[in-house]
Amino acid sequence: MTFIAELLIAIFLIVSGIFGFVGSFGMIKLNDPMSRLHAPTKATTLGVGGVLLASITHSVLLEGKLSLHELLITLFLFLTAPITALFIAKWHIHRHELPSDLPDAGEDELWATHAVEQVEDVPDHSAN
Amino acid sequence: MSLFLIAALPFLGAVFPALLIRAGRNAAASAAGLTTFLALMGLLIHIPSVMRGDVVTARFDWIPRLGLNANFMLDGLGFLFALLILVIGLLIILYARFYLSREDPMGQFYTYLLLFQGAMVGIVLSDNILLLIVFWELTSLSSFLLIGYWKHLPDGRQGARMALAVTGSGGLAMIAGMLILGNIVGSYDLSVILQNKALIQASPYYLPALILILLGAFTKSAQFPFHFWLPHAMAAPTPVSAYLHSATMVKAGLFLMARMWPVLAGTDAWFYIVATTGLITMLLGAVIALFKDDLKALLAFSTVSHLGLITMLLGFGTKIAAVAAIFHIINHATFKAALFMTAGIVDHETGTRNLKRLGGLRHLMPITFTIGTIAALSMAGLPPLNGFLSKEMMLEETVHTTWLHSHYLVPGLALLAALFSAAYSFRFVSHVFLGAQREDYPTHPHDPPVGLWLAPALLVVLVVLIGLNSAALVGPLIAVVTSAVIGGEKLPYYSLKLWHGFTPALYMSVVATLGGLFLLALHKRGEQVWNALPRPEAKVIFEAIIDALTRLSRWITDEMHNGVLSRYAIIFVAFTVGLGYYAYSTGTIGVETRVPLPAQIIPIIGWICLVGATLGIMWFHRNRLLSLVLIGVVGLIVSVAFNYLSAPDLALTQISVEVVTMILLLLSLNFLPTETPWDSSAARRWRDAAISVIAGLGTGALVYAMMMRDFAFPTISEFHLANSYKGGGGTNVVNVILVDFRGFDTFGEIIVLGIAALIIFALTESVLSTNVRSYLLNRKPHWPQSGDSHPLMMVVATRVMMPIALMVGAYIFFRGHNQPGGGFIAGLIVAIAYLMQYMASGYTWAIERQRFYYHGTIGWGVLIAAATGLGAWFNERPFLTSDFGYLHWPPLEEFEWATAMLFDTGVFLAVLGAVMLALDSLSRFAWQPGMAQEFPMDINPLRDSPPEQEQEKEQA
Repeated sequence: MTFIAELLIAIFLIVSGIFGFVGSFGMIKLNDPMSRLHAPTKATTLGVGGVLLASITHSVLLEGKLSLHELLITLFLFLTAPITALFIAKWHIHRHELPSDLPDAGEDELWATHAVEQVEDVPDHSAN
Repeated sequence: MSLFLIAALPFLGAVFPALLIRAGRNAAASAAGLTTFLALMGLLIHIPSVMRGDVVTARFDWIPRLGLNANFMLDGLGFLFALLILVIGLLIILYARFYLSREDPMGQFYTYLLLFQGAMVGIVLSDNILLLIVFWELTSLSSFLLIGYWKHLPDGRQGARMALAVTGSGGLAMIAGMLILGNIVGSYDLSVILQNKALIQASPYYLPALILILLGAFTKSAQFPFHFWLPHAMAAPTPVSAYLHSATMVKAGLFLMARMWPVLAGTDAWFYIVATTGLITMLLGAVIALFKDDLKALLAFSTVSHLGLITMLLGFGTKIAAVAAIFHIINHATFKAALFMTAGIVDHETGTRNLKRLGGLRHLMPITFTIGTIAALSMAGLPPLNGFLSKEMMLEETVHTTWLHSHYLVPGLALLAALFSAAYSFRFVSHVFLGAQREDYPTHPHDPPVGLWLAPALLVVLVVLIGLNSAALVGPLIAVVTSAVIGGEKLPYYSLKLWHGFTPALYMSVVATLGGLFLLALHKRGEQVWNALPRPEAKVIFEAIIDALTRLSRWITDEMHNGVLSRYAIIFVAFTVGLGYYAYSTGTIGVETRVPLPAQIIPIIGWICLVGATLGIMWFHRNRLLSLVLIGVVGLIVSVAFNYLSAPDLALTQISVEVVTMILLLLSLNFLPTETPWDSSAARRWRDAAISVIAGLGTGALVYAMMMRDFAFPTISEFHLANSYKGGGGTNVVNVILVDFRGFDTFGEIIVLGIAALIIFALTESVLSTNVRSYLLNRKPHWPQSGDSHPLMMVVATRVMMPIALMVGAYIFFRGHNQPGGGFIAGLIVAIAYLMQYMASGYTWAIERQRFYYHGTIGWGVLIAAATGLGAWFNERPFLTSDFGYLHWPPLEEFEWATAMLFDTGVFLAVLGAVMLALDSLSRFAWQPGMAQEFPMDINPLRDSPPEQEQEKEQA
């Protein structure tokens, strides 16, 4: 029984390690910000998720008590990861994409990030 | 009544006029009057013992280590002055009620007046020279408020500033003198000092102490060459002038000289400094007074002259001269207060104080005429009024005085001064009341209501009664006071009566009176001569000196403090390195007593991150956003390190502080250029780099050396660990230190934090009320604006997070006493919970839904903490002693309560309020019109597609 439990935990850890590595490697390997955005999602969901599963398994099977802290961590991850991703994507669209290069916005004329009245004569800092 | 209470009553009572003014002017005046009356009654209770010659004392050790004791004593001298201060104060309160107009803030006036009165009573009752100095400076401050009472008049403000500058700097000199005196004797208690005449006069420091103390006394009593502030202080309302310049403020210097008389007087230095100054002042004041056209200026210079007279008498150093001085203090207070009030009445009723525009008022204002004439004739020194008696004694004394072997100098000059004094007194009467009635008064003069003339009338009755029957009326008082002044020695023979036979003094009086009349007759001619003479204008000289001093200090400040932050930093760092090197090269270092631990992989990773981020900051520091991110990395690693080294409290605090500061810094970055410009030369950068590297390596070496050795002294950690649970009722030592062991420090810190936040708020307010506001409104953003700045996803997530974050805050707060957490961290966490709402839906949207003000939050926090601390007093324990116990409410487990928890609530509120107020202030810089949003998020699908029912209706 202990062996099976340890095996299970080890598998979870290995899975998380692999996905953590893949996520980090992707951050370096991919060269376009929008593609690069996909890489850390692997690390945050499956990578961290694996560690959390391993932790739950460890406390339930080996220590004999139910630990729910991990579920809270999952909750916070699920809350924050998409928002982070959303903001990075919005930043990219805002600063590095022209409205004409983007896919059609459907009913609306522009994507929300671009749909704003600009103050005239904004100084150009984009060179920095 | 205890002397403490007599001195404290005016201060306590000062609150009431300010509050009661809402109930009307009579209420404010009665409150002030009642307070003064109570203090006066308290004083009068002591008459029997004072008259027996006893000294009433009240002692209380305030700061014994400094020798500063709140000791009060009441002897004859103190009694006389306190009596003058309180009685004339009472009359002034009555007079001011009718004098001040409806537009003047009367509550403020009485509050200032009572503060001043309290300070004066404090001076005359102090039995400790340090305490006396405290009250002395308080009179300077409160008289500043009184003189500048009419804030709208530039004269009033300038006069107040001049009075404060002169008397305040004299006060500083006096502090030094008093400290020297205290060091000579070895005690700061007056009663001890007064016993040590021989010791003091034999000391080599006698002369410096004398000069410094006299500087204080001379500036306060407007003696030459510091006399110039007094006439300028006349810009104050007349009740203030009457009070300050007849009985109180200017008499404080005389009081001090009389008080110190037993130990300081009797030497040549004393005689030549004090008597000569007095003589010059007396003559100068009398001459100038004759040629002043402003009624109050005339009285001001006559006051200067009379103060000089008393100073001269004290300077003679003989006992009989001291009797004359004391007698003249009483007489001067009575007739001069009456004269000032008369001048005030004339000003009030005719609308002018210019002697050139007055005259012939005797039929129009008969009561005022009677009062003014009697008082003025007393000032001129005519029998049978009280002024005659003391002037006679003064002249008698001058006859017996030789100045540098000259028998005639002092009496001659005194006679001349008396002559001018008679002349200006006669001028007061003749140019205001006598002469032909005029048609061109600014208003129609008539006698004022009884409230206005009652006070001077009472004083004039005293003037006459003291003159007619001085031996019975004030004889015993003078005997007691004089024996206090001369230090309890045997009184000399003197007699207080009008007729002494044909003495030199009588002849001098006759000459002075006749000469005065003669001078008045020649006044027109004299005035022409006087106006043709070149005269130094004191105000111009004073302002030139002040200007020069201001320029000098501005120059010093600008040179030393030129605003280049990097220069301050380099001076500080280089100096510290130098000090460290000095300590290292001259001191010894103990042997290493510890073995270094093997380096483990996790700390090494942390170390690499730290060093990498620091190097990164150096490299990229011109890009402000990037360096902020790197600073964030450093902060996170530090908090992880705290956790790794078993300091979870610090880790929690660090991480929450980190989040809050990052957000605040990001907000301020919004208003700064994105790049730091290059503004120093390469050579300077290399120099700075070299100094920084040396400082860094030195600090590292120091830390290494410390960590390799045991502490040189036993630490107090053991005590905290041992007593944390036993004494503070908590197992989290860090928290118990914060709220119990060092609770007072924490209390101070939350106050400072609150002040800092309020200052940020105040700075924002003041900046936004200048033209910076228009600059901000016209500001161009650094980057093109982004749409959808309040995305739905963020808004929803923060709404979900809000209760969770608050719950975490509560959890951290409640566990704080026993486990990592506490009010400080909880405050930061709740602040972050609010911050998230600001970020998600925008400042304007969030602040409109805010139900409480952060100022109040800070205030409540400090108050709750203070109240918790005070609670310990009711259990007869020292401030901030905490208590704890256990409760068992059936459905819950047994839990602990501690008063420290309440204190922690205060900390929590103060931290929350301070953080939010700072954020709130910064956010207001970014405010633009039209920024307010109706909706919490920019895009809401619910708004785009109306409910189906409506669609159906539309279709139908």
